[in-house]
Amino acid sequence: MTFPASTRRGFIKTTAAVSASAAFAPYIITSKALGDATTPPASDRITMGGIGLGNQGSGDQRQFLGHPEVQYVAVCDVRRKWLEEARARVNERYGNSDCAVLGDFRDLLARDDIDAVHIATPDHWHSLMAIAACRSGKDIYLQKPETLTLSEGPLMLAAARGYGRVVSGGSQRVLEDYRSIVDPCWAGELGRITSIDLDPGPSSMGCYLPADATPPDIDWDLWLGPAPWGPYNAGRCDGNFGTGGNSWRSYVDYSGGHLTDWGAHNFGGALFGAGLLDQQPNEVVWHPATDGGLSAYATLVYPDGVELHCNRPAALRPRANTHSVSHERGIQLHGDGQAVAGRAVPAYRGSRGIHGDFIESVKTRERPFRDLEPAVNTMAAAHLLGIARRLQRSLRWDRAMHQFVADPQANRLLDRARREPWVL
Amino acid sequence: MATNQIGIDQFFVSLAGFDWGADASFLAAIDALVVAAAGDPDRSRDLERRFNAVLAADTSRAAKEYACRRLCLIGTTASVPGLAALLGEPEHSHMARFALERIDAAEAAEALREAVGHLSGKLRIGMISSLAARRDAAAVPVLAPLVRAGEPELASAATFALGRIGTTEAAAALAAADDHTSPIADVVFDARISCAEQMLADGDRPAAQAVYRSLVAAGEVGPDSRRERAARFAARSGLIDALDDT
Repeated sequence: MTFPASTRRGFIKTTAAVSASAAFAPYIITSKALGDATTPPASDRITMGGIGLGNQGSGDQRQFLGHPEVQYVAVCDVRRKWLEEARARVNERYGNSDCAVLGDFRDLLARDDIDAVHIATPDHWHSLMAIAACRSGKDIYLQKPETLTLSEGPLMLAAARGYGRVVSGGSQRVLEDYRSIVDPCWAGELGRITSIDLDPGPSSMGCYLPADATPPDIDWDLWLGPAPWGPYNAGRCDGNFGTGGNSWRSYVDYSGGHLTDWGAHNFGGALFGAGLLDQQPNEVVWHPATDGGLSAYATLVYPDGVELHCNRPAALRPRANTHSVSHERGIQLHGDGQAVAGRAVPAYRGSRGIHGDFIESVKTRERPFRDLEPAVNTMAAAHLLGIARRLQRSLRWDRAMHQFVADPQANRLLDRARREPWVL
Repeated sequence: MATNQIGIDQFFVSLAGFDWGADASFLAAIDALVVAAAGDPDRSRDLERRFNAVLAADTSRAAKEYACRRLCLIGTTASVPGLAALLGEPEHSHMARFALERIDAAEAAEALREAVGHLSGKLRIGMISSLAARRDAAAVPVLAPLVRAGEPELASAATFALGRIGTTEAAAALAAADDHTSPIADVVFDARISCAEQMLADGDRPAAQAVYRSLVAAGEVGPDSRRERAARFAARSGLIDALDDT
């Protein structure tokens, strides 16, 4: 092939269509299963596999299994018990024994007959698996928090966009739980949003649990993956939703803690309400505790001047008025009360909530509601707060350069070395 | 001051005897000292010296791990020899890199490059992972020969690292390795896409264009799997991004 011109227009004219919809129409499986009035035949369904099928992963799996346009074909987990349970759900759903069982995600991603995967592993695996899935041509429903470090976001985005993949984050709450504050903001009832108060939970912590005997039904080395080695302890790797200890969400090697776990929802809802999901802060102002008894808090400053106060003491917050809205999960948005035009609140595509939105996006090649880019921006806010908390100082953030400004020590916290043999 | 000094000494005595499952409450106090040392070179150097002593002593894996985590934040060239000495030890290699990878000093990169030359297996791949994360341009001559290594995991790691480093020298090394009969041909293709993305992000549009053009041409042949279709899409869409906006 020759290239007549060094221009986009010239290249597009001379090459075959680069339309993602043409290149990535869902794979056509050869099953003879017939559909009915509500279920398309198997040959028209989107073939899916799941990676990480414990707590949240099993919930996601049930959602996709119940979707009439999905043909679920493979399960992958490092725990035998969850793997068997996940397989049983698939085989029960289809009344056969066809579901493939895999212990290593690389084997699942190598299968050419799978259109899309859902990933619900602990957070330390998200970036590696998502990038590998993009390269293998899979679309991805990726549980939140989508990133564990600030550096992962741009790499994941480059893979998603470059390889033309549909990637949906997994926070179902952003659109579903915060309507009482989102709707008035988008209707223009508050005027321009000028500030937000949010109460993110604590950051994750170091894990110093003692060594227990490693049970035979877990591949411990693969569970740890790129995270530092640590001795097996059920409290280190259990999959419950707690962040106060004795669960992986509590520990810094695997999670950002409550800050990022619930932060994925709460930052997401607040930023969605304020129309800031396409932005990242350019400054974090650290307010130390005062002798007068006020606790420390931080303010994320967005480029257009909106201030997102995190854990601001009540005594410093503006009194709620007609230009403020509050949510029981600790979110308040404050507007200037000036007239602004209302806008329609975006909706999910398809049916069946965020999971259906993903499936519809796979079909249409449009970006899902929680596309990876707003997801990365949401998590960036949480990560920036986490680093400011750790260093207990103000930081300036250059989004374009993806660096802290004039703060080499903070830049050391952009990412962390991955355990061999994992390379991001 | 004397009381503080005694307190700090005691914390580090506790750290020297620390292991997983033991009382870890004193670690919060050390964490606070590390944060408080920011902007105070003398205090930071003192803590760094103490952490390096933990690395050099007969201490547990947990104690060394903790020291490496904090050296990740405050380590300087003074820590490089002690960390480099651990790179070849399977129990400590990763955590030594945990600190070294983030120390922005030529000596740290040099230690990682040197270790690539004398380590093997997974530990060697670990060094490559860290050089990739640092986008260490000086590592290209070290990594380029490994792209053709007989061990696929090693060759893949070196290939991905060259892609992430993303210099013209890395691009040339990857182009030389682009052989559709190679067992890691798909990895080379992906790495060349990463390389072009990086060059474009760094503002070298002509170099990125050249890589993408080569990939588009190469993509005209080969199998039609999902993976190949995605790779071809990446090459074509990347070229469109790299072309002049006219």
